[in-house]
Amino acid sequence: MKKTNPVFLNGVPELLVLRLLSRREMYGYEIVEEIRAQTRETLTFGEGCIYPYLHYLEAEKQVSSRRREVEGRSRNYYKLTPRGRKRLDELASEWKRVTSGISLLMEEQHA
Amino acid sequence: MPEPKYLAQLRGRLVDLGCPVFQVRRLVREVADHRDDLLRTAVVEGCSASEAEARADGQLGDPLELAERLTAVVRRSSWWGRHSFIGFGLLPVVVIPVLWVLLTGVGIWLEYAVGCGLNDDRLHAAAARPDGFRHICMAINGADYVAIVLVTLLFCWLTYRAAASFKWTVTACVVSALWALFTRVSIQPHNLWLGFWGTWPVHNIWTPQLIRCAVPLLILGVTYAFQRRTAQRFLESAAG
Repeated sequence: MKKTNPVFLNGVPELLVLRLLSRREMYGYEIVEEIRAQTRETLTFGEGCIYPYLHYLEAEKQVSSRRREVEGRSRNYYKLTPRGRKRLDELASEWKRVTSGISLLMEEQHA
Repeated sequence: MPEPKYLAQLRGRLVDLGCPVFQVRRLVREVADHRDDLLRTAVVEGCSASEAEARADGQLGDPLELAERLTAVVRRSSWWGRHSFIGFGLLPVVVIPVLWVLLTGVGIWLEYAVGCGLNDDRLHAAAARPDGFRHICMAINGADYVAIVLVTLLFCWLTYRAAASFKWTVTACVVSALWALFTRVSIQPHNLWLGFWGTWPVHNIWTPQLIRCAVPLLILGVTYAFQRRTAQRFLESAAG
């Protein structure tokens, strides 16, 4: 049976996508592959699920897209906007705050 | 080469859910690109063509579910999609009289501009000439009908752009029709009047405005037929 990401990871896809796009312009398939590779398959996206996220971020003007041809193949590339960068900073600091809080609790239990 | 069943199902469901054609085109093209990448990867990893197809479709997930999630995003991406009740249930009631006043104002301004402005003196004078008064009545009633038609068309277009369910198109048209049924515009030599049937001052009699009411319902029917035909043609052209 395919393992799915836990419920408490709600909101994490947004963070991951914004983080990846802060490095360079990417297309949907590339983003999914990159998440899989960089998290060593700890986190996986249903391949089609990336598009609702990307389109949501685009509607929120956090990313922008354009059709671009690379090596004979035309695809929709997404890149971060200034608003997306601001959102990424907010999400990243929130993520650090939450994970450090959880770590403290977990460490105390193990001590 | 025939279109893969996966993409045809995705496109068909998006159209059924009321996604505008230009959005469907983009969404399906993007998923098709992704599917193509998955196929290439599967072939490189040693799968046969049919195995690669099955694997790619499995990785993309259920096309009907994906269509629903994509449509939900399209809906959430506009104010109209997020606030359908306010936008399509309540706003037509407000916009019709506002537009009516604007149109009538423009009409009166134009009449002034061409040198036959509408004011009390002219109304009195026009009343003395049945032809002149009839023209003024026609202009005022014309503004009334144009307002109803424009508002109904505007809300039909907005529901389509927002990928709102067709029930919201029906709601907006029915609200416009009810407004048209229960209100009335009248011009007399001494007054210009817009109001509800209960406050009808002339003879204190209400006559239902059936023709006015039929206009938004007629537009609803035409919109439905137009959208069905557009969707049908789009699906046929995509399949062909």
